[in-house]
Amino acid sequence: MIEEFQDPLANYDPKGYCDPVERSLAEELVLTIQHRPYTTISPETPVRDAIKTLSALDISYLMIEAGGSLVGVFSEREALLKIGTNIDTLGDSPVSEFMTANPIYVHDSSASASALCVMAVSGCRHVPIVDLDARIQGIVSPQRVTEFLTNQLSLN
Amino acid sequence: MGLQENLQAEQVCSLPLRDPVTVSPNTSIAEVVEAMKTQRLGCAIVVDADRRPIGMFTESQLVRMQAEEQSNYDVPVSQIMSQDWPSLKQNAPIVDVLKSMRKHNVRFIIVVDEEGGLAGLTGQRSMLEYIADHFPGQVMVQRIGGPPHLHNQEGA
Repeated sequence: MIEEFQDPLANYDPKGYCDPVERSLAEELVLTIQHRPYTTISPETPVRDAIKTLSALDISYLMIEAGGSLVGVFSEREALLKIGTNIDTLGDSPVSEFMTANPIYVHDSSASASALCVMAVSGCRHVPIVDLDARIQGIVSPQRVTEFLTNQLSLN
Repeated sequence: MGLQENLQAEQVCSLPLRDPVTVSPNTSIAEVVEAMKTQRLGCAIVVDADRRPIGMFTESQLVRMQAEEQSNYDVPVSQIMSQDWPSLKQNAPIVDVLKSMRKHNVRFIIVVDEEGGLAGLTGQRSMLEYIADHFPGQVMVQRIGGPPHLHNQEGA
């Protein structure tokens, strides 16, 4: 006697979302948020040059890359807290002495919500995106999250 | 009610406003930088004698000063500050914070009371906390700082 086939998913209700932002946070990858271009420098770069790069490109965040992998970050926050008004005495030191090593990052296969989670929980303003081999894929900045949210909410 | 409706219905004063660093126009840049370091805030609001905001000094302006040779950190902040920083009233809808940050490409928004006096500071961090509160099931359950699930799977 052949048993009648019972579909185990017969009662499955697909997840419903009350809002387009909620759906996007859950289902779209973090790569959906604009994550390029980004700028990297080497750990040996003098911190004065790192700061000049931030200023010249009008950006607030640099990723420090060594051997093809992310090893640290240097942002306006490090420039404020660790350099302050002492650029003349500290400027020749390598950026590796001032960078935040082992920054929190997300993988390119994570949901877009993961970038917001890092920002909301850890207070980090920028979130690097890396692949499974720790190679840098991009950066999510506050401005890009604002743009993502305004686009999702059709506020333009 | 979805996020879009809440952003329109709720007022800026319901966001977690932050206590800003406030300084007088005659405060030197060196003193402003020390105050920002102490309170770990990326900006300082310059206020007049009636505590009305008249300008803003940010980490980005500090980085520009660091990038220039021979910057003078003893000058009054009034010579460097931005005078046209965006502000919102406490009873403005929260959606205006997003719109204002996008329009002016800034992270901070000054919040003022009905008389134009400084009421607090909001911006990117407050908005992210608001979104995270709205969708805790999506945002707060994310795994961060480690390899994605795919990386841990063994076998077929």
